[in-house]
Amino acid sequence: MIGFLHPWMLAGLLAAGIPILLHLLARREPPTVVFPAVRYLVTTTREHQRRLKLQNWLLLLLRTLLVATLVLAAAGPTVPVSGVPGHAPSALVLILDNSPSSGTMAGGSPQLAQLVAEGRKILGRATPDDALWLVAADGIPRRGDRAALGELLDGLTVSPRRMELGGAITLAGEVLAAEAKPGEIVLLTDLQASALSEATPSAPLLIGRPGTPPPLNTGIGQIETGTQPWSSAGGRVSVVLVGDDSAGSVPVSAKLGERPARQALGRVGGTVALTLPGAPAGWWILTTALDPDEFRLDDRRVAAIRVAPVARVSWDSTSRFVAAASEVLASNGRILPGSEVTLGRLARGASVVQPPNDPAQLGALNRSLAARGLGWSFGNLSTTPTFTDSGAVVSRQRVVRRHTLQSTGSGRTGVIATVDGAPWIVRDGNVILLGSRLDPAWTDLPVSAGFMPFMDVLLNRLARGEAALGEGAPGDPVPLPDLVTTVRQGENEWRVEGGGLFQPHDAGVYYLLGGRDTVGAISVNPDPRESRLDRATDTQVRRLWKGARPVALDDAAEVAFSAASRGDLRGPLLWFALLAGMAEVGLASAWRRRV
Amino acid sequence: MNSTDVSSGRARLDLLDPLEVSKLGGLELITEGVVEGFLSGLHRSPRRGFSVEFAEHRMYQPGDELRYVDWKILGRNDRLYVKQFEEETNLRAMVVLDTSRSMAWTGSPATVLPKLAYAQRLIAALALVLIRQRDATGLITFDDDVRSVTPPRARLSHWRQLLGTLAGLEAGQGTAAEPALRRVVGQLRRRGLVVFVSDLLLDRALALKALRFLRHRGHQVLVLHIMDPAEVALGGPNEARFEDPESRAAVILRPRDWAKAYHDTVRAVVTEWRLACRRHGIAYHRVTTDSPFGVVLREALTPPSRLA
Repeated sequence: MIGFLHPWMLAGLLAAGIPILLHLLARREPPTVVFPAVRYLVTTTREHQRRLKLQNWLLLLLRTLLVATLVLAAAGPTVPVSGVPGHAPSALVLILDNSPSSGTMAGGSPQLAQLVAEGRKILGRATPDDALWLVAADGIPRRGDRAALGELLDGLTVSPRRMELGGAITLAGEVLAAEAKPGEIVLLTDLQASALSEATPSAPLLIGRPGTPPPLNTGIGQIETGTQPWSSAGGRVSVVLVGDDSAGSVPVSAKLGERPARQALGRVGGTVALTLPGAPAGWWILTTALDPDEFRLDDRRVAAIRVAPVARVSWDSTSRFVAAASEVLASNGRILPGSEVTLGRLARGASVVQPPNDPAQLGALNRSLAARGLGWSFGNLSTTPTFTDSGAVVSRQRVVRRHTLQSTGSGRTGVIATVDGAPWIVRDGNVILLGSRLDPAWTDLPVSAGFMPFMDVLLNRLARGEAALGEGAPGDPVPLPDLVTTVRQGENEWRVEGGGLFQPHDAGVYYLLGGRDTVGAISVNPDPRESRLDRATDTQVRRLWKGARPVALDDAAEVAFSAASRGDLRGPLLWFALLAGMAEVGLASAWRRRV
Repeated sequence: MNSTDVSSGRARLDLLDPLEVSKLGGLELITEGVVEGFLSGLHRSPRRGFSVEFAEHRMYQPGDELRYVDWKILGRNDRLYVKQFEEETNLRAMVVLDTSRSMAWTGSPATVLPKLAYAQRLIAALALVLIRQRDATGLITFDDDVRSVTPPRARLSHWRQLLGTLAGLEAGQGTAAEPALRRVVGQLRRRGLVVFVSDLLLDRALALKALRFLRHRGHQVLVLHIMDPAEVALGGPNEARFEDPESRAAVILRPRDWAKAYHDTVRAVVTEWRLACRRHGIAYHRVTTDSPFGVVLREALTPPSRLA
């Protein structure tokens, strides 16, 4: 694309119209001269007229061309020229895709090593006048000279974080927007098709991608651990395999902690069910694994497993749906009759309290709550139909009647579920308040498919002071339960604020602590989309990112800085103008002599 | 040619610039001056008779050929007489003058006479020379039609009548030479001399046809092609619309660009006229209006045999 050093000079192109204007002005009626021998003039001009007309147009063209060429030369036109040794000072953002798929082994080394090597070559072509940035999977643009960025490149490892390429390109464009120098974006990537997302590059985009096809891959996309806690009798794990269909059957293993693993065969697209034997009560890390292949990162997936005795529950048999659900849970061994948790009313121990059917009893209930020193009470009755906010405990459910839950003093901590942002289920100590009765006249929850799991979690975990189990991917923020104060992974601990967000960096199980108690866990695993290593085609890339220029990875360094490697067209233009001028003078005088 | 007669010490009007001469006086006066100068420089009669039949004597005049001097009379009474012959005394000449609008033009009014004014003076001088030789001389003028016909006479008073006709001429409109030339036949019943004075901006084929007809009738024909110097060498402003005063045809061009080509065209036209005239035994002279009258008279009155 042609650029100009002094684009404002292009306004002078209007001057190119001067010869035409003069021509038009010259066409005005000249003075009349009486001349009897006009017939001789007619004879003279008749045979030359066509030639003269052609000559005049050619001269007009040459003069217009001459002016236009001079104006263009004055504007300083430049064109991109690849392969020239130097380049004008420019701003370059190097995006290096060190997402999990870059750990794929290719030619005996990880793909990342090849990307880094090419990145090094590109930085090697940079000059001290260039403005350089490096963007990796963590999404942080880092500026530095080529030495500093070279060190950063050398220190790059395969990130567990997924990299949305469209997002990275947009980020690079925002970085370049503040730069006056001509900008360029260089993306070094394995060009995983699933990583492509829409973007409008604001600067020339060069893409270096491997020329070889990716290896076949099979990975663990998801593990299902069923309802927790597991009882001491053990549990059942479902493993979903993703990747290339042609990989065939692969062995899948699963184990709790360091206990003996169970194995089974599975195929991509299918689910492998494994039953694990019972384990002592406590928190366990469930590890599922495949045999190693070229892409190791998705060959292992972990999940937090809580093993504990089921809750002993006393439920209100007059509440029809609560009673029915409790009986089902009891019949399935998920709860036992007892007094550990009282369901439906406020009792001395752990209690799940519904609002009373009779509004007249609400005052007495609130006084009882206050007498227990609880910071929450029931407020006014609202009959405006609304929906719950989808969360880890309750999915989106319709609510037609509810009491507002009011915080009386100890702040708004302990919110477990909300309706339109307002507390709907809260916890204070070992008491849980429900804003609506578990009755279809109040909410659709009792007649939904999620009711039984909700009741299981409510009784076995929430009522016992624990939080729901969460999942996430490295780098993605995960909402923390309200009562969490610390997150721990192995030897690492992070002080956190309950109700806030936590951004795990690596894959693994992160335990959530409320005070000294472990109240929950977050299982962090790579994004399952990383397991599909298929590359996007150049056509797809060009269609998605306008002006993108995909090249073989090995050629990227050579082509980089092409936006700034510009040839100056002033010389050729001035030569052209000189030739046009000489042609005009030569032809005009020769033709005049000839006439 | 030097315009001063060294022997007499008087200026020879026939060799002066025509415009300067025309400023010296009326048509009669300057014509006589021009003819006097012309005859004194010629040293002999400009024309010779064609017949050998003696008719009468007359006084010798400068320019008469010595071979016609009657030496016997000179010996008897010491006076110079020349012998005249029947045909010579009866030569009848008709001048056919083009008075079309184009003839009234001059490219440089300050320095060059209009073609018609130049032709008036030239014809007056020519007529005087002829009449002094006792040749009867008539005049036909025309533009797009015949305007006047003056029958040929040999008396000096007739010359003054011709002068009156010439002086009263005004430029007309277009040019139609053929009728005028055909009118000559009625005026010259015997072989005679036809002098056709025109800028020749006319239909060449028709004009040549009429001239050939005259030639066929046994007349000597002389064509005086009057041209203004500005018609020979194209000049003018940087660019101009050149308009024909008769047909109103116009051409827009830059004279500087076309001067050479135009000059070539004019030369070709003159050559074509000359060749066409020669082919039919017609004498042709191109006359530019800045040429001294004497030079033109000498050329015009030189017999065709001497031209060859």
